[in-house]
Amino acid sequence: MSNPSAVTAPRVERAVLGRPSWLRSARAIVHLSVVRTLTPVLLITMTGLVLLPMLFALVFASRGFLSGDPVPFLVERYDQLVAAFATPIIALLLSTSAFSAESDDGTLLYLVTTTTPRWWIVFVRVVFAMVGTAAASAVAVFGTGLIATGMHDPEHITRAFGIASAFGGAAYASLFTLLALLARRALVSGLLYVVFWEGVLSTTFPALHYVSVRQWMLAVANALTDATDARLTDGPSLTASLVGAGLIAVLAVVAGARQLSEPRMSRIGT
Amino acid sequence: MTSSAENGAENGAENGASNGASNGENNGANNGASVGAGGHADAAARTRVPLVFDRVSHWYGDVVAVNDISCTVTAGITGLLGPNGAGKSTLLQLAAGVLSPSNGAVRVFGESPVDRPDVYRQVALVPEREALPGMMKARAFVMARAELLGVRNASEAVTRALAIVEMDTVADRRIDTFSKGMKQRVKLAAALVHDPSLVLLDEPFNGLDPRQRLHMMRLLEERVAEGTAVLLSSHILEEIASVASNILVVLAGRLAATGDYRTLRRLMTDRPHTVRLRSSADRLLAAALMQEASVLGVEVDSSGVIVRATDYTALSLAIAPVAQRIGCTLYEVQVTDESLEHVFAYLVAR
Repeated sequence: MSNPSAVTAPRVERAVLGRPSWLRSARAIVHLSVVRTLTPVLLITMTGLVLLPMLFALVFASRGFLSGDPVPFLVERYDQLVAAFATPIIALLLSTSAFSAESDDGTLLYLVTTTTPRWWIVFVRVVFAMVGTAAASAVAVFGTGLIATGMHDPEHITRAFGIASAFGGAAYASLFTLLALLARRALVSGLLYVVFWEGVLSTTFPALHYVSVRQWMLAVANALTDATDARLTDGPSLTASLVGAGLIAVLAVVAGARQLSEPRMSRIGT
Repeated sequence: MTSSAENGAENGAENGASNGASNGENNGANNGASVGAGGHADAAARTRVPLVFDRVSHWYGDVVAVNDISCTVTAGITGLLGPNGAGKSTLLQLAAGVLSPSNGAVRVFGESPVDRPDVYRQVALVPEREALPGMMKARAFVMARAELLGVRNASEAVTRALAIVEMDTVADRRIDTFSKGMKQRVKLAAALVHDPSLVLLDEPFNGLDPRQRLHMMRLLEERVAEGTAVLLSSHILEEIASVASNILVVLAGRLAATGDYRTLRRLMTDRPHTVRLRSSADRLLAAALMQEASVLGVEVDSSGVIVRATDYTALSLAIAPVAQRIGCTLYEVQVTDESLEHVFAYLVAR
């Protein structure tokens, strides 16, 4: 500091306040999300998750015609490795990183003590996670399909799962964004949910099909493909899946906004 | 606190709150002072004063962090004092609307700040923790705040805020490369970017070197000259004393005292006032002063006569006539225990 006795700030007009611009505030929220989310560890984890189904496709492709019909192979991999694993884990990482880190270190204060509506903050964060999840899942789905079947997309299975993973990414992103605002250990809770609920329970008990994002994704894929695999046809209806995902998205924005009005934060002072 | 002080405190709290509120209309000079908690803020002044706590309590589970606090913060700098864990940060979060009171009401410019994002047009909170998004550049962080606050002339406002805290030359560096003091200044720039009328600062002097502290104090005084109300929590008493004569003392979640600390000191009738005198005849003066009813005791040492009195006003009125009567010349009269440090120590010891 040069001279403490004289504060030599430029004398300009006072700040002119208005309603926050939707676009500019969204840009600021995304910027704050990106710097808290895209860490090297997260990027490496996401890359691994995207590459995992592709490795299986490589093995499948390397065996040529001995591998058999690619459609059942792709349905199984898309279900187990994308819908039940890669998509939810990527959504979990992208949805919880920013809010959890900000809650833990108290910097959430800089976001909530603004005139930007809280529902807009949550909505932008959900969209940010959704777009990231959809993009990463699309790479996994289309990469796997391309390796296994080349440019040929039998029974439009790859296209169907590409769209279904974007849909599932939105549902998972909504769910985990809300979890990040409500739970102190959102990452661990989310992982337990993915492993037990989506990985085990949703396939074991048919009654849970209606409350499983994985099964909703399969229902969307079923509506867009000509394949008749039992995994696709045994799930809930398309309408039930769309309504379920819509409800989760609305709940996340409404309940998340409410939570932000008195945010869960670690101590900001002594 | 003795029973006599308690009585005085109750009356004082009533007067202090209402004086503070009405003085807020007169440029915020608050001469009222009170020891103890309780009382209601003046309802008529609620819509104009920057911040009113009205019988506010807040508890976390079984732990009572803030207990039935009523007070008013007017324009000017108000120091918020208290030991660690006294409830200062909770009080600031209640004022900023990020916590809702378990009981009572907080009003910022007449409105509850809870769940009302519009209140942040006028309010800014600077937390004690230095955590900031380290991967962001300082300018980008302050710009993000400006955009989230709806500042129309964001570029100008950001440049100005960074210049005010003297961070304009390093504003394009990442925050995680900054020292603690620099981070403190970035936090302040982010808080001042929209020219709030009420600034809540939690330990703003932490991590600042003496020159930076001096700069921060001048900066706050400049803001106050523009009509801003500042509620400043700190444990560095000399610095609070140099910028804020009006203080709120919080002990174990309760408001122990509020008002001008010199006035508070005079209200503490259970603590003798200590005055040091230097004169041409110290021993004669000591003997003469012992005849005064307000004097509890005198002590003569190489620095002069130390007088302890129960009634500060009576002693003040007695010293000159007594010296005149015995024909000695007074060289120096100095009150030795009227500093904020003494006031705070006395309050904590109660």
